[in-house]
Amino acid sequence: MLSQLYLPNLRFLALALGVVVSPLIQASQPPVAPLSDAELVRLYRERCEYLIDQTVAATDPNDSSRGSSFTIAANLRRETNLEWARERLRLSNDPPSGSMFWMHPMVLLMEEGRGVLNDEDWAFIKELWRTYFPYRGDTENHWVMYYVSLYLAAEMFPDAGPEAWYNGKSSKEIMADAKEFLLDWMRITTSYGQGEYDSPNYIEEYTRPMALLVGWAQDPELQQMGKMMMDYILLDYAVENLEGLYGGAHSRLYPRYLLQPGMAHSAAHAWLLWGQGEYRSNGGTLMIALSGYTPPPILFRIATDRDKAYIHKELKRTRWRFRHAGPESFEVDGKRTIPVYKYSYVHPDYILGSSQGGLLQPIQQQTWSLVWREENMEGKSNTMFGLQPYSSPIEGTMYFASDWDTVTDLIARSKVDYDSEDKLEGGSPYEQVFQHESTLIALYDIPEGTRFPSISTLFSRDINRRIEDDSGWIFGQGGPVYIAYRPFAPGEWKPVDWTGLLKGGAGAWFSTGFKELSEGSECLVSRSLKNGYIVEIAPVSAFETYRDFQETIKALPVEVQLEPTPKVSYTNLAGVKLEAEYGGTPSVDGEKVDYSSWKLFDGPFAQAERESQSLEMIYGSERYILDFVNRSAETTLVEEK
Amino acid sequence: MKRTKLGYLTLSLAIGFSSLGAAEEERTLFIAFAMTKAQEASSIPTDSGIYLRNEEESSWSRIGPVIQSMNSLAVDPSAPATMFMACGNGIVRSRDGGKNWRLVTGWRESDFLKIAIDPENGDSIYGTSVWGFHLSRDGGETWTAANKGLKEKYCRTIIVDQRNTRRLVLGTGDGIYESRNGGDSWAQVRSSPRSAILRMDRSLKNPDLWIAGSEGEGVYLSTNDGKTWRSVAETLSETNVYGVSLHPKRESRMAAGGWSQGVWVSNDGGVSWEDRGSGLPSQNVTAVAFDENHADRLWVSTFEEGTYYTDDDGKTWIDGDLYGAYVFDLDFVTTAKP
Repeated sequence: MLSQLYLPNLRFLALALGVVVSPLIQASQPPVAPLSDAELVRLYRERCEYLIDQTVAATDPNDSSRGSSFTIAANLRRETNLEWARERLRLSNDPPSGSMFWMHPMVLLMEEGRGVLNDEDWAFIKELWRTYFPYRGDTENHWVMYYVSLYLAAEMFPDAGPEAWYNGKSSKEIMADAKEFLLDWMRITTSYGQGEYDSPNYIEEYTRPMALLVGWAQDPELQQMGKMMMDYILLDYAVENLEGLYGGAHSRLYPRYLLQPGMAHSAAHAWLLWGQGEYRSNGGTLMIALSGYTPPPILFRIATDRDKAYIHKELKRTRWRFRHAGPESFEVDGKRTIPVYKYSYVHPDYILGSSQGGLLQPIQQQTWSLVWREENMEGKSNTMFGLQPYSSPIEGTMYFASDWDTVTDLIARSKVDYDSEDKLEGGSPYEQVFQHESTLIALYDIPEGTRFPSISTLFSRDINRRIEDDSGWIFGQGGPVYIAYRPFAPGEWKPVDWTGLLKGGAGAWFSTGFKELSEGSECLVSRSLKNGYIVEIAPVSAFETYRDFQETIKALPVEVQLEPTPKVSYTNLAGVKLEAEYGGTPSVDGEKVDYSSWKLFDGPFAQAERESQSLEMIYGSERYILDFVNRSAETTLVEEK
Repeated sequence: MKRTKLGYLTLSLAIGFSSLGAAEEERTLFIAFAMTKAQEASSIPTDSGIYLRNEEESSWSRIGPVIQSMNSLAVDPSAPATMFMACGNGIVRSRDGGKNWRLVTGWRESDFLKIAIDPENGDSIYGTSVWGFHLSRDGGETWTAANKGLKEKYCRTIIVDQRNTRRLVLGTGDGIYESRNGGDSWAQVRSSPRSAILRMDRSLKNPDLWIAGSEGEGVYLSTNDGKTWRSVAETLSETNVYGVSLHPKRESRMAAGGWSQGVWVSNDGGVSWEDRGSGLPSQNVTAVAFDENHADRLWVSTFEEGTYYTDDDGKTWIDGDLYGAYVFDLDFVTTAKP
């Protein structure tokens, strides 16, 4: 049975949208009355309407050379600028391109065009679907967008025969195949974790297709499962959200968003869904707004309650590996992957999060990151992270169907920084990371002959008051957090400067404005092959002075050994002894970390067991349970202990 | 280097199949490629496709739909109107000589690289993909993964033994494997290189003669019908070899090409090899094929620098067009004469 039971609307919330702030901000702002579920939904709906209005307002009806299918769809919803919309529809599809990035906005346009577009418009659209053969793509998000779009397009013409579609299949065949894929993707994701996990960029490549299912799928099962997967993906973000910053380790992130995390698409989602941050035009949020999707109120509360610090752990998986899978890989339905162990410490003022290191995702992996709260995110580079800039045909052929000699070159045609030592993202097989609350330890053992034999740690321009102490510690302050960084080998400061990399203009589409993004930020680059560092974070409010923080850190016991392999023993600010050796299992106060017990979600706000196909969202006495086996979403109340 | 006239004729194609019953057949060169040279700031090639060589006009004509990631073509030798394309999206089939196409695979099948058809039974179709080996027993209507015995599922190339069509020889990420039961199970061939097998060819003149190009282990040759293999062409012994070809009429003549090594030719059954590619604009070779219609012609595709042929053993190379292409396959199929 499919059920969707929400709490009574008049139930008041202990903590609500925009209310929960850090102690620092609390001290300067009066308390705000909590909001009811109904009020939360009303405010959300207002933002949806505002977003649609803004998109329509940005339309220039006298210029049919500009405007995306999203903009056309918004105009169709409002039934405005219809002549422009019709002309733009034709011009922008002469010829069609973009594969699944063409398909899903086209489906949105078609759904919004019901009853608005005329017969000629529909004939034009049908001809596009008959003649344009979109590529299915090679990433998880590609396939999800492809099959959702194809399903919905076919569902609009359920009796169409094979002659109507580019792939020579009938609508019924298309729908059966697409539905089977989508349900299987949901089963895999809720059993083993998402492969393209926790991306502040690519979150919208999942919320867009799920919004399409929520808004327009006529099949009740797919509509319900789409709604549940949307809740699931947003919960995945909400538990690592800090005012629109998507904290923690990420599968994929582009350089501009690495440097300014408040610009990522996830931030646009936080504005729409939770009222955090500033409005920013975004196709994903427009699609959600048009779809009618309403997030369950518990998501508001989980996303915004940052009253207490908490540990949140997640189990994800790598993208499927068809070569060089490695001995640690396991097989799911004939495809190989390895687990990704995520650990995030979510504090009212910051999120420090990590994965275990290694090649977890091609090209754009962020193994660990620190983000901190800023009252005004505009232009802020409120982040810190480190990496070993690795590129290799091993990684390329692990994940892509290209040849050994061409794969790196072809990757760099679009991800121009992939084969550069200056890059800011990417995994490395020579990197191992371990975290306990606000302490992170990274170890590196880089073989001789490695293409870029160095490690790099970003000290952004918004890490102020930087001090290189004689003790070996480097101190700094980022907004409301103090940072202590202890490198195990010497390095040199290098400006974040891609001038050389970007010559010829390659990659401009994702590096535009890089000077403004990077100016003033530096990386500490170390060329020692045996290497590592400790990162220790503390809230400013925990110390009377910056000097107190430094002196306290300097007094902490640290033992580092680099030969034969990097090894460290460190007792952190909380008095916890942390030990790690490259290639070994780290320990906390003498107890080995048990990765085998890692759950899909494990934190105060979310619980999910491996292979459970379910997720329990938790807030106070409220439980919201997504059951993907029984296709149900249900809210219950439990007695609080 | 002489340049022929460029002739991209984008045809919806019929290639003379309208009167198939009475049509004569011929062997036609096809090429599968993506245009990557001009691909800047994008993950999408500027063009992709499979083209057939028009001998008379010295030009190429597109066959089939335009899909990104089109890797190979196979034509049923017993019914040339039936053709299959190996694509990233799966396998696309035409039964009317290319007028209409249908994606015959579903979501579970993906990233196909090569297709082989049983010459005696067109219902048995075999496809290699990065995810493993797949077979169809009903002419491509339905597909099944069949990887029993394979250590690595990554499969690059496949040949059906025309003397025993239940015997299949497969190039995998773990060397050469053989099936004696039409793909139901596999066993690794002894003396096979253990690295990925990228290309294979079998002599039309002498079916006991096989050649394989490997990833990092150069060229391997078998003179006993694939039972045992030995490394040849010492210069290429650590090369990634993307092109191998056995001359259709002279069994002592063979060619191999690879990355940064150009193309090498042997005229003594693989005993000695000579560099014949120095006149090419690039030494990065991705495909090699002896021409079945021209006795001394050898085709070579270079990475993004064009496809060329020589009629004088590499003294001069003639531009066969397709500058900017990354060629995945260059081979001959049976077609009906127009």
